[in-house]
Amino acid sequence: MRFSQFLKDKILQISLIMFAIITIEIFLLAYPLENFIKIYILAVIIGLYFISIIVEYLRKKNYYSNIYNLLDELQEKYLITEIIQKPNFVEGKMLKEILEQVNKSMIENVNKYKYLCEDYKEYIEMWIHEIKIPIATSKIIIENNKTKATESIDEELDKVESYIEQALYYARSNTVDKDYYIKKNDIEDIVNECIKKNKKVLIGEKISIKTHDLNLHVNTDSKWILFILNQIVQNCIKYRKMDEQAEIEFFAKQRKENSVLCIKDNGMGIEKGEITRVFEKGFTGTNGRRLNKKSTGIGLYLCKKLCNKLGIGIELESVQNQGTEVRLIFPNSSYISLC
Amino acid sequence: MQKILIVEDDEKLRNEIEIFLNNNGYKAESLKEFDNTIQDILNINPDLVLLDINLPGADGEYICREVRKQSNVPIIIITSRDNEVDELLSLNYGADHYATKPFNIQILLAKMNSILRRSNMGNVQDKINAQDFIINLSDSTITKGDRKIELTKNELKILKYLTENRNKIVSRENIMNYLWDSESFIDDNTLTVNITRLRNKLEELNLKELLETKRGQGYMLKFEK
Repeated sequence: MRFSQFLKDKILQISLIMFAIITIEIFLLAYPLENFIKIYILAVIIGLYFISIIVEYLRKKNYYSNIYNLLDELQEKYLITEIIQKPNFVEGKMLKEILEQVNKSMIENVNKYKYLCEDYKEYIEMWIHEIKIPIATSKIIIENNKTKATESIDEELDKVESYIEQALYYARSNTVDKDYYIKKNDIEDIVNECIKKNKKVLIGEKISIKTHDLNLHVNTDSKWILFILNQIVQNCIKYRKMDEQAEIEFFAKQRKENSVLCIKDNGMGIEKGEITRVFEKGFTGTNGRRLNKKSTGIGLYLCKKLCNKLGIGIELESVQNQGTEVRLIFPNSSYISLC
Repeated sequence: MQKILIVEDDEKLRNEIEIFLNNNGYKAESLKEFDNTIQDILNINPDLVLLDINLPGADGEYICREVRKQSNVPIIIITSRDNEVDELLSLNYGADHYATKPFNIQILLAKMNSILRRSNMGNVQDKINAQDFIINLSDSTITKGDRKIELTKNELKILKYLTENRNKIVSRENIMNYLWDSESFIDDNTLTVNITRLRNKLEELNLKELLETKRGQGYMLKFEK
């Protein structure tokens, strides 16, 4: 608030005062009084008025610049009402009251959506548990009645299952609460589990698997990591080279501050300009479009999101026509190991 | 024959598991009422229980804990709840294994076999008598008479699988499936090499003609004439 702005605001008051002074002076000039008294009256009125304006200006300026400073420092700006000091003039008090009411109604509104979101997530989770039962039943019916046709249905069911799983983790990734449980896990167990999960395709498509140096422990939620790993492996399968023996290699490295799990394939790789965008939602890239692979652009996006939630780093390195390497970086934090 | 009790409220799923287990050498039974589940389980006294968590009435975790107080019967939890906390809770309540729907029934079967083998400690199998030769699982060898030949891990698994399916044609895919389930992720070429080596080792015991290649179909381990 500049002083000139403040004065502009007071323009009516000032012009009325000026008018009063001028009329008083005109009356005084008509009386035979000493000049000293005429000037004194003039000076007192102007002086006192000027002081009152200065005092008011300083008080408001202090108060509002204080609020602006706080606002700059605050990350969550809507919390400003909670921390501004109580003003000692009436407009400020009104403003604070208005802010408090607005805030309250805003919080109610946000809570409404939070609740809706949570409610929807709960519904999705429940639905997913329900849908798994008929899938489980179908799979055993297929096992009990094996023919070429049912085995083909089985493969389709596997796809249904993987889409359902993606939906479950998508729902989980959007809420703020903790759906995960951190404990000590053997990397090798998780990798083996993931390979077994994709056994049918890997054997059927004659993709060779190499695992080495996986004897490491990490503190994390194994179910979430299994899901992330599964998305990565499915990408390796999807984007393999058709004219060459496909290969997926799993290995881990222990470093000073972290443990790294690497998943390396010899697939078609990713164009240089696209590497930075692979974790974006809905990004399908040249490979996804050119090969008609039905890319959804969700897999890696979800991986990144879940990794962020779990506090795990994810890196991707790729050379076109040579292959891709994805690295999951688990911090060896002593804080996590306490949990 | 070992008795498996299925405690699952979805009728169709229950029936199909029952058929599957009956086809795979077990005697499967299932509960149809869930009013007195704990007492029913104890009365039937099975060798293993497959227990669903979401049951009408009492929930599976409670049943698991109560049964465990009175019996040591192996319990496998089958559930559609797929998170680490539920799994840990169930294991804490005394379950032996936790399988999430939709489970791979073959892997579940393998798990049941291994749990049952462990629970009947009396007849631990570390030797398979295949009539013409003996497979020693504990030191990974085969013996015929007084001759002993060492096998690698993969060769042992392949021979064990062929022995379990004696006189049947076993496809290469089946063998690979079996090996992958036991976490040997070998590829097609490695399988060929392993089979050749296994055949050479059998030859040292004069058993070469037992392992026959069926062109385009797979392999078969025959009996000695």
